[in-house]
Amino acid sequence: MAAIALASRERRISAPLRWLGAEIVRFVPVALLSTIIVFGITALAPANVAATIAGETATPAQIAAINHQLGLDRSVPAQYASWLWKALHGNLGVSYFTRIPVLTSIEQAFPVDLSIVLGATLIAVITGFAGGLIAAVRPNGLVDRLITGLASIALALPEFWFGILLTIFLAVKLRLFPASGYVTTSMSLEGWARHIVLPSVTLAAPVAAVVARQLRISVIKELEENYVTGVVVRGFSRRRILFKHVLRNSAAPTVATIGLYVPSLLGGAVIAEIVFALPGLGQLALNAAQAHDIPVIQGVLLVTIAVVLLSNLAVDALLGWLRPGVRRS
Amino acid sequence: MTALLKPLRRLLPSVYLRVAAAVVAFMFAVALLGGLIAPQNPLAQNAAETFAGSSWAHPLGTDFLGRDTFSRLITGARPSLLSALVAVAIGLVGGAIPGMASVFLGRRAEYLVMRVVDAFMTIPPIIFAIAIIAGFGNGLTPAVVAIGILLVPRFFRVIRADTLKLASAQYVEAALLFGASKAYVLRRHIWRKVIPTLAVTSSSALGASVLGISSLAFLGLGEQPPAASWGAMLANDLQYLYQEPWAAIWPGLAIAVTVWALNALSDAVHTARPREVEPADAVEPLRAEDAAAAERASVPQYV
Repeated sequence: MAAIALASRERRISAPLRWLGAEIVRFVPVALLSTIIVFGITALAPANVAATIAGETATPAQIAAINHQLGLDRSVPAQYASWLWKALHGNLGVSYFTRIPVLTSIEQAFPVDLSIVLGATLIAVITGFAGGLIAAVRPNGLVDRLITGLASIALALPEFWFGILLTIFLAVKLRLFPASGYVTTSMSLEGWARHIVLPSVTLAAPVAAVVARQLRISVIKELEENYVTGVVVRGFSRRRILFKHVLRNSAAPTVATIGLYVPSLLGGAVIAEIVFALPGLGQLALNAAQAHDIPVIQGVLLVTIAVVLLSNLAVDALLGWLRPGVRRS
Repeated sequence: MTALLKPLRRLLPSVYLRVAAAVVAFMFAVALLGGLIAPQNPLAQNAAETFAGSSWAHPLGTDFLGRDTFSRLITGARPSLLSALVAVAIGLVGGAIPGMASVFLGRRAEYLVMRVVDAFMTIPPIIFAIAIIAGFGNGLTPAVVAIGILLVPRFFRVIRADTLKLASAQYVEAALLFGASKAYVLRRHIWRKVIPTLAVTSSSALGASVLGISSLAFLGLGEQPPAASWGAMLANDLQYLYQEPWAAIWPGLAIAVTVWALNALSDAVHTARPREVEPADAVEPLRAEDAAAAERASVPQYV
């Protein structure tokens, strides 16, 4: 808040720049704290990496040498500082065991998750907005009860089970989609699209339900506003009122909710990866977890957190556009 | 007895909600009794009877090692549900107390606590749990602690939003003016009034926690084989999907029905609770970000 007040005193700076400045001031402490958490949970853990690398017959001297080589004999703050400094320069370190640079592994795996998360967001937004709007037009009607019921079921479904059910019906029985695997866009665009449909639908289900519920509540509340009565009296068509006025005004809380679900989408992508055997970040992290391959885990966490922060920025920009009043205040 | 039933009736006005309450009670009873009511040994393998269909001996058939699916489903309730309860307890203590205290801590501490919660909310949940297990080893305890930590921001935000509203009530201001300490106000005026919110949040958090723990079990994190848990059973079923596609129905159904019932209960308590929490004399407007947090907190979240 103080930052916004400070920025607005500088009249010479243009509004979008001022907004970006305020956002950065807000995000930097959060980003810094996230990196401390990421480093903390992985670096303070009791797992003795050097002993694992050196093998069972290693002497204490050998273990100490490996610890020194990996920089694990320094103090934790010193380790954190050098890790963060390197990460900021695009160096996420090297896997303890495969010796592959972490960034290389992530560059290979990340497009998989990006594909299914974007696909899921698209599906969730379309079905959620459609469902919420249709339900809100006649509250407590048959259609409303049907959509609300479906949403509460979608919220209770475990993602992995829903994915398995989709596989049983649409892949194993009907053979509409491949049951597992991934094809890159450069290999075949159509193959890529066919492979990401089921994982995206799996991931989208709970988010679509939340979007529909949130939008339904906002639209019902909005329809009771005085200005709606006003435009009805002025004889505007129902469609125009709903889409030009009500939807825009009630979209903001829904967009904010979608922003809150970005971390869940990225986490859920891990589950979808396993169900549909996709070579994504989740597979990378799971394999690394079994081997206590700390640099890989840290890299995956860092990249996913960066994605979350960037999407929060995008959501804030969208919210500012949807309700200019809040942006100005 | 009737005195006990009356608030229950007010809380559960419809048949639908009584069904939800009965489902929750039934599932947790099964989880508590576990091995006592399982008709067969859930770990007994039988190479001659793998992927058996439904029969009197095996009502839901057998799995890839010839183990009785029905018995595994019953004993799997315990690691799936009771550990979820522990995770919720961690989230509640870790979230509710700082959530209430943050309102009275003074600006600097308040800012810091809120940014830490924000930071935790940027970490994708399942990946966070994988990282915890990478550092602390695979097992039920790290998995439960990870889910518990992930539930902290949820409790923190809801309780903070409620406490903010209560703190601006005139009787709280009066108490502070008369020299009551912050700790006294928290104990005397705030604590009891946030209990309905705690109940709502705990119920939905329990649903999220069951989903989270099962998801981790599905990934092979948490309770280790051969012990049965619903998530781990589904992981096995996925491997043998072509031999036995319908086996995957049961553990998933058990999770979905439990989570649905917990969410339904949470919604019911949410609508039925007394509205003390919103005092009419709360004239001081909330800050925009807290209003938004309260708005979002009313939407159930899953881990």
